Amino acid sequence: MLFFSCKKDFLNRPPLTTYIDADGQFWRGEDDIRMFANGFYPNYFNGYGLGWTWDYAPVVGYTFNDDVTGKNVQSNFESNVPSSRGSISESAAWLQQYSGPTWDFAWVRKANILIDRVENVAKPKISDEAYRHWTAVGRFFRAFEYSRLVSVFGDVPYFGRVVKENELDTLYKDRDPRGYVMDKVYDDFQYVLANIRANDGTQNLNKNIAAAFISRLMLFEGTYEHYHGLDDARAKKYLELAVQAAEVVMNSGKYSFGSDFKSLFTSENLAGNPEVILYRIYDAALQVTHAVGSYSNGIETVGVDPNLVLMKSFIMNDGNVWQNSSEPGANDFSIANLDKTRDPRFEASFIDKPNGSSTTLLYGYKFASRDAITYIGKTPPPIWASNTNTSDAPVIRLAEVVLNWLEAKAVLSESLGGAAVSQSDLDKSINAIRKRPLDAAALAKGVQKTAPLMLTSLPDDPARDADVSPLMWEIRRERRMEFVFEGFRLLDLKRWNKLNYMDFSTNPDYFLGPWINLQAEFPSALTTSAATKGNVKVKKADGTVVTYNGNNASDMVGFWVVENASNRNQFNDKNYLSPVGAQQINEYKDKGYTLTQTKGW
Amino acid sequence: MTFLAVMLVLQLQQKVFAQERTITGIVLSQDNAPVDGASVVIKGKSTGTQTGPDGRFTLKASKGQVLEISSVGYENQQFTIRDANAIEITLSKVSKSMDDIVVVGYGTQKRGNVTGAVSTVDVKKTLQGRPIADVGRGLQGAASGLSVTIPSGEVGSDPILKIRGVMSSFQGSSTPLILLDNVEIPSIQIVNPNDIASITVLKDAASASIYGAKASNGVILITTKKGSGTAKPQVTYSDNFSWQNVWKKLEMGTVDALKYTVDAAERVGVTTPTGAFYYVDRAGYEKAVQWQKQYGGTIGKNDPTVFGRDWYVQGSQNSKMGMRTYDPYDYMIKEWAPTQQHDITVGQTIGKTSYNIGLGYLDQSGMMKPAKKDDFTRYNASLRLSSEVNKFLTVRAGAMYSRRDKDYAYVTSSTTADPWLYLYRWGPLYPFGNDQNGDPIRSPVSEAAQANTANLLQNYMNVSTGATLNFSKNWKLDFDYTYSNQEEIWNRPGTRYTARDSWSAPKARFDDNGNPIYVDSTGNVVSSTAPGAMQAFDLSLNTYTGPGANPDHIIRSATNFHSSTINAFTTYNLGIGEDHNFKFILGMNSYAAATGWQSQQQNQLTDIHNPQFNFAIGTPPIISANNTWESQLGYFGRINYAFKNKYLLEGNLRYDGSSKFPSNLWWRWYPSVSAGWVISEEKFMEFARPVVEFMKVRASWGTIGDQTVPNSLYLPVMPYGLSSWIGGNGSKTVFVSTPPAIKHDITWQDIETKDFGVDLGLFQNKVTVTFDLFQRNTNNMIVPSEGIPLTFGTGAPQGNFGSLRTDGWELTLELNHRFQNGLGLNFRGNISDAKTRIMEYGTSTGVNSNYNGKTIGEIWGYRTDRLYQTSDFDLGNDGKPQLITLTAADVPAKYVGKKAYKLKPGKNGEKPVYQTFLQNSSNFFFGPGDVKFKDLNGDGVIDNGSALLADHGDLEVIGNTTPRYEYGFRLGADYKGFDISAFFQGVGSRQLWGDGFLAIPGYNSSDGAMPQAIAGNYWTPDHTNAFYPAAYNNAGSNAANNLQVQDRYLLNMAYLRLKNLTIGYSISQNVLKKVHVNSLRVYAALENFITWDHLKGLPIDPEYINGYSMWNASNYNLGRTGMGVPAFKSISVGVQLNF
Repeated sequence: MLFFSCKKDFLNRPPLTTYIDADGQFWRGEDDIRMFANGFYPNYFNGYGLGWTWDYAPVVGYTFNDDVTGKNVQSNFESNVPSSRGSISESAAWLQQYSGPTWDFAWVRKANILIDRVENVAKPKISDEAYRHWTAVGRFFRAFEYSRLVSVFGDVPYFGRVVKENELDTLYKDRDPRGYVMDKVYDDFQYVLANIRANDGTQNLNKNIAAAFISRLMLFEGTYEHYHGLDDARAKKYLELAVQAAEVVMNSGKYSFGSDFKSLFTSENLAGNPEVILYRIYDAALQVTHAVGSYSNGIETVGVDPNLVLMKSFIMNDGNVWQNSSEPGANDFSIANLDKTRDPRFEASFIDKPNGSSTTLLYGYKFASRDAITYIGKTPPPIWASNTNTSDAPVIRLAEVVLNWLEAKAVLSESLGGAAVSQSDLDKSINAIRKRPLDAAALAKGVQKTAPLMLTSLPDDPARDADVSPLMWEIRRERRMEFVFEGFRLLDLKRWNKLNYMDFSTNPDYFLGPWINLQAEFPSALTTSAATKGNVKVKKADGTVVTYNGNNASDMVGFWVVENASNRNQFNDKNYLSPVGAQQINEYKDKGYTLTQTKGW
Repeated sequence: MTFLAVMLVLQLQQKVFAQERTITGIVLSQDNAPVDGASVVIKGKSTGTQTGPDGRFTLKASKGQVLEISSVGYENQQFTIRDANAIEITLSKVSKSMDDIVVVGYGTQKRGNVTGAVSTVDVKKTLQGRPIADVGRGLQGAASGLSVTIPSGEVGSDPILKIRGVMSSFQGSSTPLILLDNVEIPSIQIVNPNDIASITVLKDAASASIYGAKASNGVILITTKKGSGTAKPQVTYSDNFSWQNVWKKLEMGTVDALKYTVDAAERVGVTTPTGAFYYVDRAGYEKAVQWQKQYGGTIGKNDPTVFGRDWYVQGSQNSKMGMRTYDPYDYMIKEWAPTQQHDITVGQTIGKTSYNIGLGYLDQSGMMKPAKKDDFTRYNASLRLSSEVNKFLTVRAGAMYSRRDKDYAYVTSSTTADPWLYLYRWGPLYPFGNDQNGDPIRSPVSEAAQANTANLLQNYMNVSTGATLNFSKNWKLDFDYTYSNQEEIWNRPGTRYTARDSWSAPKARFDDNGNPIYVDSTGNVVSSTAPGAMQAFDLSLNTYTGPGANPDHIIRSATNFHSSTINAFTTYNLGIGEDHNFKFILGMNSYAAATGWQSQQQNQLTDIHNPQFNFAIGTPPIISANNTWESQLGYFGRINYAFKNKYLLEGNLRYDGSSKFPSNLWWRWYPSVSAGWVISEEKFMEFARPVVEFMKVRASWGTIGDQTVPNSLYLPVMPYGLSSWIGGNGSKTVFVSTPPAIKHDITWQDIETKDFGVDLGLFQNKVTVTFDLFQRNTNNMIVPSEGIPLTFGTGAPQGNFGSLRTDGWELTLELNHRFQNGLGLNFRGNISDAKTRIMEYGTSTGVNSNYNGKTIGEIWGYRTDRLYQTSDFDLGNDGKPQLITLTAADVPAKYVGKKAYKLKPGKNGEKPVYQTFLQNSSNFFFGPGDVKFKDLNGDGVIDNGSALLADHGDLEVIGNTTPRYEYGFRLGADYKGFDISAFFQGVGSRQLWGDGFLAIPGYNSSDGAMPQAIAGNYWTPDHTNAFYPAAYNNAGSNAANNLQVQDRYLLNMAYLRLKNLTIGYSISQNVLKKVHVNSLRVYAALENFITWDHLKGLPIDPEYINGYSMWNASNYNLGRTGMGVPAFKSISVGVQLNF
């Protein structure tokens, strides 16, 4: 005014250090789209997690299943509707009891934004091929997220586009039926398979990676629909897509079982591993490290560890179940014998001697190298200690794809009119896996490959669940051996409608560890204070329990009894799906809408 | 009226004149500033004169005559002419008069003429001679309507300042504008308390609006001393030495805490050892009790931890079992940490130029005992110059510099888990100090001791130049330009820690031949066959920080902030006749600021003792940076009108622009008006005159814009970052974040205030009362679009949809009396209250949502009836409560099938009230010793209904986190050079629902830390009248099972503090004259010394705010109550000297 020559731009001070999603300032080409799409990777391709965070990461992330047992009371299923459940954050924690996301639609929105901007902003600036590819990327992540949400909550509201804040009727709509949502997911996946690039550069999402995940997610939904008696027509459709997607990978010719089992999980560099379809790189210099290796190092305690039920489920290397095997040692559940007589994955997954850091004395070290466990009693190097592990994580690998494929085919053939599973199908899947090379250390220990599974002579497992066919039982066994600690087990139980396996009252073996001669193999358990407290026990073959009293060391031979272990509280079918929060239900009610609570809650 | 000692400084000369002669003199105020326009007359005659701007006067008088000197705002003074020709007269300020001059926006006003809501601070009494690090801390309780909170004892941290209520909006800063000589300063720490001439708090829009866009939450107006009126330089020196200690002993549970942990574990069937790193079970607890009996009096904090005596191992995992208990306080807290302060000011007037130089030094110690360095130092320097070039032009310039340096142990880069969190996390078995090999045991203390020293250095400086053009006697123009710059360098040199690693498994001890060593229960080596021999273990000595793991790095961040401020305004005074006085102001201000920030981190130190970038090998370095800028421009006009000084009127109009909004919404008009009526000037009030000396009512209304919001609210910003996904090329991939949902038309929040006030002066103004009633509305408040569910997938867009209202009142009462014998007594007290409610937000009615009508800070919870006793339950044959499955006969349908312990019917056969809804954990069932809640709505079950206002079950509002009834009062007396004053400060009402170990019983009882107040007072069958419920491990939740938010365990954060108690003595003038000293006072003071609180012995400071510290304002130490640097008290002595 009087004293100040007011420059017109004096007040023009927009943000300086950020992109802006308006006026053509972003989405100018493929590079921009790629930068946006990169934001999805750490969430969906989690690998071993980051630092101490292990959502969707093996071992510590998945401690809630029937493979493992802890001291005292087993951790319980959720029993009450939480006061609130949900988030709008992209960094929201998952729900461990459901192995999936909380009530959170941030990733749905993010995927819808990607699809929308590619369609409405970027399309004229990129080629048609690029347009279809990036649309496929967006639709892949959207379908992925909905698959996860459905696996946790069942019915969920479906949003196929970015919803505006004033569309309250849409935002407040009640849940869409599971089948409706999964049909949308199915459509997205079909588009993905048709349009995504076969190759988009190293470590970037491509057709094989997408197809591998589609086989996983469609197998889940197909089997869930079938075994829960929801909708067999949909089950068929989804399982057929699972088969089709798996075949994309299997027929790509890019992947094979050329790597030994141990290397898959403990390599500093997974580049070039023929079985790995996508892996996550860890690098100390970049401060991208994990802690999964530390929880496999023989020193850290996880708190819940492999139980005798799991041990007994490992197949003998002659291809028989232990009850029927003529091999010497079939009946011997000492760790040393199990190492030699069971499928090689046993030796690769568990430390070969009793370890006090495990509640069962059998310590899982699938994710630690053979070198890592030489530091027991010493200080391990950072790559196997703390949250500074740098082994690369397989995000998805061929073994899963072939097992997804086989199981989908088997369910289709058993119940949905599909062609019968052939021996050649087994050879492409289970038997291909069993032919994996053994590493030198395993060979040196005398570990042998497991004989192939033959349709003509399927094992007759006395422990088989009566309503599961012998072939299906073997397919499920193969998954159990292949994926122990990897996070599939609880979801598998859920889709098979077998959550009752989590009721440990059904089998006393849940509370036992391996067979052990304490005085010879683990004398450090036989201390004075252990005797006074009466907490060291073994269970004889005849079922009698011997408690250490200070004078009966020589009698302490039997199955290790997990200290003070008892079953979890009763649970029921409602525990298949998560409830939504009471606050969310109330919020809908407050606005005159309805959010239906999950069945049974 | 005569509270302040009158000082006469005579410069005696020997010459004697018998008759009338020329006397020259100077009239100064107490702080040695010249008093302009003072009237000097000879008593009984009409002869007289006035002092000039330099305070000087000349007149003819003869020996024996008495001069009467008077000036507005000062006590009248008489001076008898003796032999001297040159005299110096110091006037004392009228302690509190309606003629007092108050600094207000761009000028001063007589207190009697003020029409806005304005508080002034008695700078001398409030700030001088107190062992306080900064002005903010000194202002606590000193002014009505100004709320000061000191949430921790972190040295170098800013107190939280708020004017009139906790918040004025959700998005804005809600913090007052702090102006030092009309220039905004970034922290009140910058100001040297001894440089201050006056502090005024502008509280309503009418008084603050002149400062425009940043003044919407009130203004703290600080002016510094300018020049000294005398030709002789005046030097003032003051110092203070103080010693700080924790405000009270923080008592943590020892063996009782172990008992709690074991009880909680056994309750859910866990009999195996429980704990973190050090375990306890029933047997271990009993051993700890035994240890306490045997060694409690003899083994102390400096004794090493010995295997066999203090701990043992158990079980197949060699679990470490403790027996000895430790109190972290003994190891972490430095008691009586010293602090010193020195200040010196020099002022002088030479001809028409005056200057003032101020220097200050503060060196304050923190209380972290093991730290290599934990202190805060501040250097202040200021220079003010003013020169009257000619009668039209006065020019001025100033510069100030403040260097603040905080040194502290750099233990971790985390602000959510620093040593104070870990100090109060693990149970009492967790060892501190050294092990028997003389090595430190890993603990927050060992890490603090090994940590290198981080420092946060803030160099602030500003330079200002200005000029006043006097066009005529009534018309002037002021122009001031200030450039401020603050550089902040934050060096964080890390280290790697080496210690006996108490986090990892112990290692067997072997002799030189590799044979295991055995010890007995005193730790002495014995043969393996000796009775009670146990194999010995040691903690392993590890460097347990992995390469590159936190804090194996060095981080240096540098922030540069600079701003330019221009204030230009012209003032025109117009008098029409005697009765009509007008004052017009027209002006503008502009503000432009920019901040650049860059942080560089390099991992993997090769020299952990001298961490330097040159000695760090982690590649690549991690660099982050940001740049922000903002600007505001405003034009304003003001008219003051006074009729006979009886009817007063003021009007303001502003036109403000801010860069924070889209360009079409930059600009906005803001008017305000205020009016006053001095009733005591009216004829009809004369009857009351002996009592009511002065009475004024005033009222104001105004709006002022608030733009203290981020500049990105209206834009869909997509920040760019590095992902943890490593790409095919081996480096991190870049990603762009999801854009938020936004509304483009975001604009100013309008803050509208209404104030009604009364000022009273009674009994010759010996009693003054000020009362204000106010309302502040935040209109067009930026809030999220309301009622958007989680399915939206992101935060609801913000828009100007809301409104907020704060209602409050303030009362200040001041009494002064001096008795004939010279004893002076004074009292000043103030109390204020404000309550903020949401007026418009949306349509939500959820009790925990921001529903319309909600009072900010309210806490919804259950009412606690009592603890269940065993007699409440229908016991089974085994004498224990029976777990039953509830049926429709017991509970409403929605709880059928839930399990609960069977309750007996009431005395008259009433159906028992079940609380299954509150059983949040699957292994928790309400049983004996657990909390019984009140069925407020009488529906026979305890729950929260739908948690909506219309159906809130048994919930109700049980408290509020907002401090209410904040008060302060000072009692003072002086007599013959001695003075004593006691200053109390308190909060009448505040509640907090706690979080974490120090507030929630069983917060995580396997980790183990808990206050003795909890550990010693929880329900057991043998202690059924306990305050806290039966032991249960809530596994990290602060609102589950027994510890639902409820009134019984709500923390009552009301308190009263003896903030300051000072005894001083001013040395007699007779003595001082001989050593050419004008004044000298020595004093001793206690600061923060006594606190009366209601926290039942919990180690929590009543001013604590969950999750707030200077490092992290919302989630510091995971928001756990009390987990920060403890508040402190201090004892001090000091000197104030003027020569």
